[in-house]
Amino acid sequence: MLETLKDRYSRTGEESTVRSLLDRESVRSAPFWGPPFLLVALFVYGAVVWNGVLSLTDFTGIGSPDYGTLDFENYVVAFTGGTPTWSDLTVDPIWNSAQNTVVLMIVFAAVCLALGLVLAILVDRGIRFENTFRTIYLLPMSLSFVVTAKFWLYMYNPQTGLINIGIQALGFGPVEFVQNPELKLGAVAFALIWQFSGYAMIVYLAALRGIPSSHFEAARVDGASTVRMYRRVIVPQLRTATVSALVVITVFALKAFDFLFSMYGGYQPGPSADILATRMVREAYANQNWAYGSTIAVVLFVMALFIIAPYIYSQYRRGEL
Amino acid sequence: MSGNHTTTRRKILKGAGAAGIAGLAGCSGGGGDSGSEPIELLHAWSSGDGNAAIGALIKGFQDAHPDVEFAEEPVNGAARGNLDQVVSNRLQANDPPSTFQSWPGKTLEKFGEAYADIEGDVWTDDLKSNYLPGPKRQAQLDGTYVTVPLNIHRINNLFYNVPVLEEAGVDPDSLSSPADVVDACEAVATNTDAVPFAQQTSGAWSTVQLWETVLLAEAGIGGYRSFIEGNGDTEQVRAALENVVALSDYYPGDASSISFTEANTMVMEGDAAFIHQGDWAAGAYSGADEFNYGDDWGQVTYPGTSGSYLLNMDSFPYFADNPSPEATKTFLSYCGSAEGQVLFNREKGSIPPRKDADVSSLNAFQQDQYDDFTSAENQPPSVQHGLAVSPGVSTNIASAFSSFLENYDAEETANELVDAFQ
Amino acid sequence: MSDAFAGGSDRRDRLKRVALYAVLVAMAGFYLIPIETGLMTAITSPETYTGQTPFLPPLEPLVSGTGSFSLAPWANAFDGLARGLANSFILVVPATVLSGLLGSMAAYGLTNVEWRGQIAVYVLFIAGIFIPYQAVLVPLTQFWYNVVPLQAAFGPLAAAVPLVQEYHWKLVALIVTHTAYGIPICTLLFRAHYKKLSDEMIEAARLDGASVSTIYRRIVLPLSVPMFAVVFIYQFTQIWNDLLFALTIVQFGDASVVTQELVGIGVSQSGTNFPLRMAAALLAALPTLVVYVLFGDKFAKGVTA
Repeated sequence: MLETLKDRYSRTGEESTVRSLLDRESVRSAPFWGPPFLLVALFVYGAVVWNGVLSLTDFTGIGSPDYGTLDFENYVVAFTGGTPTWSDLTVDPIWNSAQNTVVLMIVFAAVCLALGLVLAILVDRGIRFENTFRTIYLLPMSLSFVVTAKFWLYMYNPQTGLINIGIQALGFGPVEFVQNPELKLGAVAFALIWQFSGYAMIVYLAALRGIPSSHFEAARVDGASTVRMYRRVIVPQLRTATVSALVVITVFALKAFDFLFSMYGGYQPGPSADILATRMVREAYANQNWAYGSTIAVVLFVMALFIIAPYIYSQYRRGEL
Repeated sequence: MSGNHTTTRRKILKGAGAAGIAGLAGCSGGGGDSGSEPIELLHAWSSGDGNAAIGALIKGFQDAHPDVEFAEEPVNGAARGNLDQVVSNRLQANDPPSTFQSWPGKTLEKFGEAYADIEGDVWTDDLKSNYLPGPKRQAQLDGTYVTVPLNIHRINNLFYNVPVLEEAGVDPDSLSSPADVVDACEAVATNTDAVPFAQQTSGAWSTVQLWETVLLAEAGIGGYRSFIEGNGDTEQVRAALENVVALSDYYPGDASSISFTEANTMVMEGDAAFIHQGDWAAGAYSGADEFNYGDDWGQVTYPGTSGSYLLNMDSFPYFADNPSPEATKTFLSYCGSAEGQVLFNREKGSIPPRKDADVSSLNAFQQDQYDDFTSAENQPPSVQHGLAVSPGVSTNIASAFSSFLENYDAEETANELVDAFQ
Repeated sequence: MSDAFAGGSDRRDRLKRVALYAVLVAMAGFYLIPIETGLMTAITSPETYTGQTPFLPPLEPLVSGTGSFSLAPWANAFDGLARGLANSFILVVPATVLSGLLGSMAAYGLTNVEWRGQIAVYVLFIAGIFIPYQAVLVPLTQFWYNVVPLQAAFGPLAAAVPLVQEYHWKLVALIVTHTAYGIPICTLLFRAHYKKLSDEMIEAARLDGASVSTIYRRIVLPLSVPMFAVVFIYQFTQIWNDLLFALTIVQFGDASVVTQELVGIGVSQSGTNFPLRMAAALLAALPTLVVYVLFGDKFAKGVTA
């Protein structure tokens, strides 16, 4: 493409060093990527930076933030607890919700990927009604977290919920999930897995379809059993798919706020299910500790960065950007 | 809230004005000399009895003062927290409304410095002599009158379904302590198919209410006051929590996934014997056909708390930078009148805070409650409903109870509750 | 591909197939049953609802204990959600179209050009997909409530233009926000598509002297139609389903969207509310469910392409 352009510009007699040509290209394409870029720069990156600055203030919602005195007090409080200058009361550190966030992300992502892979392999075995099955598996993904929470709150109901009806049919007593400290995070993770494992399935399915059938045949000729074949030959080729599904699914986990807000009818899911996403919104919007909420948001942002930076870098290395 | 902290807030607020935030936001902040500006009243009573009540109040006011204009702004479908959010935004833009629906008491600390003294203008001698000490104290922020309480919902009630208790052989009037309630629940469980104690635990608020009522019963008014002043006795707090733990054996099996209205419906339909709630629960009863006060349902003062009327109130505070100073004061005075309070409370199901109101137009249950109120020795403020503790402490208490609902660990929660003030 | 696995005795094969289908159907049951249970509960009259067999259709008086059929919960749910549904449509249509269009433009501007800086710009777009909303909420609330005089601008506008209400300013704020946050994922999807477009056709157009924008309008845009379908499905679902932005930008009141209304449904109505709650949940999910059932396949292909 470059060559052609260069030719064209020389033909029309415009000045033609390669460098300025490049500049011109960027300028000429600017009307296209410029406006969307401005929006993203302002609302995404501008807001992230602003949030970072806010996290250094003492803003508690009255008046406007005082940007004159910035310090890292909120971070000290976030990691060690204590009484900040903007409050008379002690503030808990974020470790509990940080731990829940990590546990939720790992359990949710691991099970989603495993289930998605198994489903993809099954669907890939030349079945009939493939489209129907695929649509059904993907269907929960179309739902809002708010809707999912309504459904699962009902499913978990100790008296009228299907899960407990099943458990009781097996002869066990009703199990309380929703407010049970041992089970509630698991119950949340399970509902999220229900919602998003279909996504992992379609990502894996596409990857499986991308593997040349000669690989399958070669394995068969070697006399490998089906399970062995998948383990030795096929699964190792799904690394890229795993990484891309993992990144998307982890981001979904970070958004679990909507689910918890709907399930527990507000900002207080209780300590066993409190994640950073709920803690952040609770501090800012319920407790009016705006600056402290911003601080937790920065922590969340950094966590997200740890996931996406390696991903984008590896994409870049492979030339897939 | 320490004096230090409030001064900081005041400075910030003034600073915001100086920086011209109002101009930036394109709002008409400040002003204040024109008495003819319409009253801007923000409230969240967008449906049901609350909407009827505020409608009746405003209509009564406009009949009495046809010259005052109203720009009533219901914040539809909003919870009270959302309303605070809007007021917070408006204050940040130096554009306060005339007044808004707010709990009185310690909740006022949230926007403390934005309020102005209305002693004399609104809080005349008439109001001062006709409000009982409890509500009067709640109208003040650090000793300054800034708001006008409009209604009282009582928290220390025990409602019951008459036929269910008869079947269980329980006489509600014989209960005299929270422990008796537990025994009565056991009798209901043994003798009937009904759920003994209808309670929801999907949100923490019902449990906070129950616990504060039990605390009031067991620790007495002195112990209760010590707690809300931040000097709570861990033993007393723990004992009250243990009573709640004992009661929780008698909750509906799906308490964690039902709402208050569903719990209340269980009582109405004879599926449950007792419910502890504020007297808004009775609003649903009076709306139901063939569910009559006395015959089908009854109410007793929560066992152990006789002589106390545990207060939950709504009020209209006055903002310093008022867009309609004179009109707002006229309106607040009307809210402080027996006439206005009767109009409002007849619809709302609560009772007037004034002791001289003519309550003959209220229903029989409300009249009984009003008698209890005017003869109550103590009118302590509710913890759950924002009167007794500052917003920050309230948050800590809410989070203590969100973990209590998980583990029902009285020991741990008692420590968290006492520490909530630090 | 099934041919690749041919072999072994026919009977064992058939048994394997049966087992395979059994697992597939069981999994379909797993994904469908919460929705199915919700649907069956939602068409039960609240008075006869017992909760004993929530997954069975309400067949009273034929089957006792299942409750009797009623559409009353749907009527109640519609009453409760009508305003939210209307606001959600006002929000979702422009936000979806705008983010799709701007994403397509960005992808075009960053694909069919040779410019070294494009990777850097593109990385910023891509990273935007993964930024948690929490990281921007407080500034967004500050921005829309205390920096931009949008509300003040809507006062006169509402007075002058029919159908425009003052509270619509919140929806405009939400549209702009969702558009900005939708652009990154749209750009990613479109760019993957544009990289595969035939270079020759575009080159030919260039040689004919077509400008960058002519090429976009005449060639790229028509070729993007299938991708627009994918992007619109994705964005429609994302924006319709979002709660957090609405909670922090609309906050409450007349401009509330359907997810906000759904959270509180059943709290203020009395009675046994599971039929109502389920009807409301399904009603709120209906638009995205329909979109998925009709176009889910296209979407699956587009996202993984």
